[in-house]
Parts: sequence; structure tokens; C-alpha cells
Amino acid sequence: MSTFVQVMLDGLLAGMLYALVAAGLSLIWGVMDVINFAHGEFLMVAMYLSYWLGFLAHVDPIVSWVASGAFVFILGALTYRFIVSRCIGKAAMAPLLATFGLSMFLKNFCLNRFSPNFRILQTTVLEGKKIILGDIVIGLPQLVTGLFSLAILFALYFLMKKTRLGWAIQATAMDREAAELMGINTDRIYLLVFGLGGACVGIAGGLLTSYLAVHPEVGALFGLIAFLIVAMGGFGSIPGALAAAILIGLVEALAGFYIAPVFKYVAVFAMYLAVIMIRPKGLFGW
Amino acid sequence: MQNRKFLAVVTLLVFALVLSASCALAAEKVLKIGVLFPLTGPCATAGQRCVAAVETAAEVINNKHPELDVPLAKQEGILKGTKIQLVVADTQGKPDVAKSEAERLVNQEGVYTIIGSYNSSASKPASAVTERSKKLFMCGCSSSAALTDRDFKYFYRLAPTDKTESHEFVEYIGWLNKNQKAGIKTIGLIYENTEFGKHAADEGKAAAKAAGFEVVVDVPFNPGATNLNSEVQTLKAKNPDVVFGACLGGDYTLWVRTMKQMNWLPKAVLNYCTGYQDPKITQQLGADGNFFMGGTGYSPEIGAKYMKKVAAVEKIYTKKVGVPFDSDSIQEAVALFILAQAIEKAGTLDVEKVAEVLRTTTFDSPLSLGGKVAFGPGGQNMKATSIITQLHDGKYMPVYPTSYAEIKAIVPMTPWDKR
Repeated sequence: MSTFVQVMLDGLLAGMLYALVAAGLSLIWGVMDVINFAHGEFLMVAMYLSYWLGFLAHVDPIVSWVASGAFVFILGALTYRFIVSRCIGKAAMAPLLATFGLSMFLKNFCLNRFSPNFRILQTTVLEGKKIILGDIVIGLPQLVTGLFSLAILFALYFLMKKTRLGWAIQATAMDREAAELMGINTDRIYLLVFGLGGACVGIAGGLLTSYLAVHPEVGALFGLIAFLIVAMGGFGSIPGALAAAILIGLVEALAGFYIAPVFKYVAVFAMYLAVIMIRPKGLFGW
Repeated sequence: MQNRKFLAVVTLLVFALVLSASCALAAEKVLKIGVLFPLTGPCATAGQRCVAAVETAAEVINNKHPELDVPLAKQEGILKGTKIQLVVADTQGKPDVAKSEAERLVNQEGVYTIIGSYNSSASKPASAVTERSKKLFMCGCSSSAALTDRDFKYFYRLAPTDKTESHEFVEYIGWLNKNQKAGIKTIGLIYENTEFGKHAADEGKAAAKAAGFEVVVDVPFNPGATNLNSEVQTLKAKNPDVVFGACLGGDYTLWVRTMKQMNWLPKAVLNYCTGYQDPKITQQLGADGNFFMGGTGYSPEIGAKYMKKVAAVEKIYTKKVGVPFDSDSIQEAVALFILAQAIEKAGTLDVEKVAEVLRTTTFDSPLSLGGKVAFGPGGQNMKATSIITQLHDGKYMPVYPTSYAEIKAIVPMTPWDKR
């Protein structure tokens, strides 16, 4: 029984992290109908920033996530202003290909500047700390990251549902022209949404550095999983992203332990296909 | 008028310059060698170090280095002045890319030989290309035993295979049981689900069973995973006494840290050529990397005692990458040294004659543990040896065979909470 609880907890914590990584993508995709292919690389950039802050200035990831979030917010906003905004209204594939180019640029830039070496912050506040409850072990870095994810997702949900800015974002997502007629500066909304999407993944990256090695390829699989979560949860839906991410985390952990570790991604992708076949708009799609 | 004279003089000078440059080029004979490694992707760190090692060997061979006591260092080039020119290409760690890049190197660049390709899964298709084209493939460190089971005529591998290491591992476990009363009965395996990992695991299982140990858990995983929670949980549930690991690069660090997070360790961990051998990863893991063990063909500690001629060559290498040679990268330097020695001995670039020399000669190799290289059936270096080391504060301390041992290994490993 304790093994089952341990596996569930591992899945839950992994899912909460995935949710934060995917929330930003979901927002961008849902509001702008733009696929940000550089999402995984935004995570990598945030991790590098957090790592260097920790390594050079001894700023712990428990603090540096603020800087990572802010930096990737700016990176997201710049990406919109100089790349994505020039592609909107052009061929449907244009933003996708442009952000794919950006992802290649970011990955190779980091590869060139920081080398392909794996970098780990050795001494962080949470490093090696764990809560032991009988046979169950919960890593504190994972727990804190999971709780942060929940808090930030809640804040994002609150922003979307309870604030004028959130209503303006939703209005822009529903009908851009109508929103403009109502006096909403949709270009600014798009810029903000791209920035917010970046900030979410930036915060996730900042926190991840407390237990995961940083290297130029680190964002690849996270990026792919984020795409699955958004498609499964429903484009633009924060609760959808959370539900899908937790589902993916649990399926990954349970299939990995009870079937075979090598089967865990097979199970995740099979579940994704099943959900998309039954409900193409995703679990909470608009 | 004066302008015309000036123009004429300048034109003459330019012609003279072009002519002298082309004469110089014509005088310099070059031999193109393809250097095919993962320069991007998850194994880029190791790949870039392998390239630096080949570059180091080329630098030593191409220029006079009277201060170095290694073959060909005291002369310039091979075959009376032929310089080695490296053509570097990237496999990205992917078999399909390795194959197409090998084809490009052979067909478009016209390379004489390919040295590569770190990942066994990349070396396999790339060497199939060279074999078809009757070109040599010098493989430094890809360790899958299957590579030399193909009976290829032009494929030569320097490093020991996973088969050799597996036998050494179980022999050492037997020794630990006998001499340190380790009480090891069960074995588990964790490995990346690739050509390298699967073959290492197959060899590990076969060796363990043959020696009478019970294999209680077998955990393949997809390289580059976001977490290894299920994998470590599976190991922890079966609690084997020893784990054989075949995890490269970032997966190795993730595995070690996940074991720490889950507060679990077996009595001993023995690694194939993996992240364990990477000095940078060892440095990054810090104290968490302590007491893990693995097969090691070279480390500065081993070099200082048994391979003293390496140090001077290592200086050139360290300037390029900032870290000393490791077990993998040094084999790639050896690959070029051995090829150059074979060409020099054959006295010709005729591939058949050079291959014949490679098959029949025992080469001096100060950069190899044991000091000799001789290829047997399938192109495997029969003199390849590795010793088992244990990490102590970033130092690879030899623990087995006993003739090399410098310390008594800490078995069982010190638990995480007592470090």
C-alpha cells in the first residue's frame, strides 16, 4: 500500500510541475491560436538564468524563480513584438515555423555559450531535504515546486476569471474584432499573453533548477509534454491544463511502476490519443 | 600613366602571391580523416570531448613534438610529410543522422577513414557505410559487443566491450563476497533503451547468471526523460544488492539524484561507460557521486601511476576543453594514433595494406592502459583493459583487479543521510 501511495505522490508532484509548464502554452494557444514551438526552450533559458544566479551570485532557486519568471516574461513579450506579431494574419504555419526557428536559435545559442555540459546547483536551500512518513519519502524540492505550481495556477485562474484584464483576454480570445470594437487594445493583450505564458514557464524553470540538471536539451521533452497537456486539457483552459497535467503525471508514474518504466510514455501518449478521439476539444475546451 | 604602372605592379604582386600560395598548397600533402561524433543533442558534451581528443592526436602527429614520448610525435606528419586534416561532422547522437553524415564524409568529402561515433547506435550504421565503401572505421569508445561481432573487415574498436566489463563486474562481486563479506546475492540493471544500453544489459544479465547471481530487476528507460521516479521506485521495490547502470550524461545525474530523493541505495553500483566516467558530471554531482563504481580505462589518478606518458599529451587536450582526458575521449585519440602508426608501417595509403597491418600488428600505445593495442577477430582490441574504480571526492580510485587496487572499496555504500 505504501508503495502505491508513493507512486501516486510522485505522479501527482510531477503532474503539478507539468501543469505550470503547460499553463503558459495553453494561454498563448487558447487566446492567440498560435503554437509557440520555443516553449521548451523558454524553460531551458529560465533554468540557465536560475543556475547562473545560483552559481555566480549564490541566489537560491527558491528566490531566483522571480527573476526567471520576469526574464522569460520579457523574452515572451519580445518574441511576440518582433517575431509572432509579424506572422499573424499570414500563412497559418508562419508563427509555428517562426517560433521553431526561435527554438533552434535559443538551443544552439545556449549550446554555444554554455557548452553542452550538464550543470547542477549543488547547494540549494532545499537540496537533499525530504519528508519521511514511514515508508513514504517526499522530496522537499519536488513538493515545494508542486505547491508553487498550484499557487501560480490559482493566481492565473483568478486573473483570468476575476479581473478586467482577464475578461479582456477572454474577449480577445473569443472574437478579436469585437474586442477591438469594445475598445480593447488586442495587440497589447497578445503581448501580455505571450509575456504571461513565458512567465509561467519561466517560474517553472527557475524552480526546477533546485533538483534537475540544466543543459541545452532539457526543455525538449517538457515542451512536448506541455503540447499534450494543452491539447488534452483544452486550449486556453487553466483548470484543463491542471487536470490533464495531473492525469499525465499519474499515468506516467503508475504505468512506469506497475507495467514497465519503458512503457510510461507509451501509456501517456495512448491516453492522449484516447482523449482526443473521444473529446477533440480536450477535457475543458472552450 | 603613373596609375597604370602602379596597377601593373599590384597585378603582378597579386599573381605572385596566388602562385606561391598554390605552390605551397600543392607541396602540402593532406590526408582527410572524418571525425563523426554527437556535437549536439544529449551526448554533445562527450562528443565534443572526443573531437578534441582526435584534434589533440592530429596536432601531435602533424607537428614535431620532441618533448612528447609517444609514437610519431618526433616527426612531422606521416609518410614523409603528409598532414592529417580532420573533417568534423555531427551525428546528433542519432543513428539515421550518423548514417547520412558517414555517407557525406565518404562520398562528398572523400575522407580516408572515419573515427567515431561515441554512441554504439550511431557507430553501427556509420561503420556499415564505411564497410560498404571499403574505408576504415576506427571506433574509439563505443562499447556494444555487437559492433565487433559482425565480422567486418574495415572496422577496428579500441575500447573494451560491455561483455568484458560485465565479466569483470561479476568477478569483482565474487571477490567482494569472498574478501569483504559483502553478502551480494541479487543484481538489478538500469539502462537506457538504446543499442548501447540494451547490449550492456544483455551482457550483464548473461554474466550474472553464469556466475550464479540472481537478476531480480531489469529497468530500461527512455533517454532524456523528465524524471526517473518510476525507474528508481521499481529498483527500490526489488531492492537488489548491486545495480549495473548504463545511463549516459544527464540521465546519470538524474538517476543518482532520484535515488537520493527516494532515500535508497543498493550495496554497490557498477557502471558501464556512462556518465560515471565523465569528470564534469562527477564534479557537478559533488559528494552525491561518491562511492559509485564503474569500469575505467583512464583517469588522471590512473594515468599518474600507470600511464605516465599521457600527462604531456593531456596538457594539449586540457587546453581545448578545460578537463583532463576521460576513459572515452582518450580512446578516440588512441584511434588516430593507431591509424597513423598503421599507415606509417604500411608505407602506403592503400586501404587493404593498412587494414592488413592493423590486423596483424601489436602497436605501442602509451595512451592505452597496458600500453599495447592488437586487434583480434571482428576488429576488437584484444589488449583493451579497464579497471574498476570507486569515486572518492571526485577521484577515481582503483579498487579491482587487486594488482591495480589502491584502496579497499566502501561496500556497502555509505547511506545518503550519513554522508
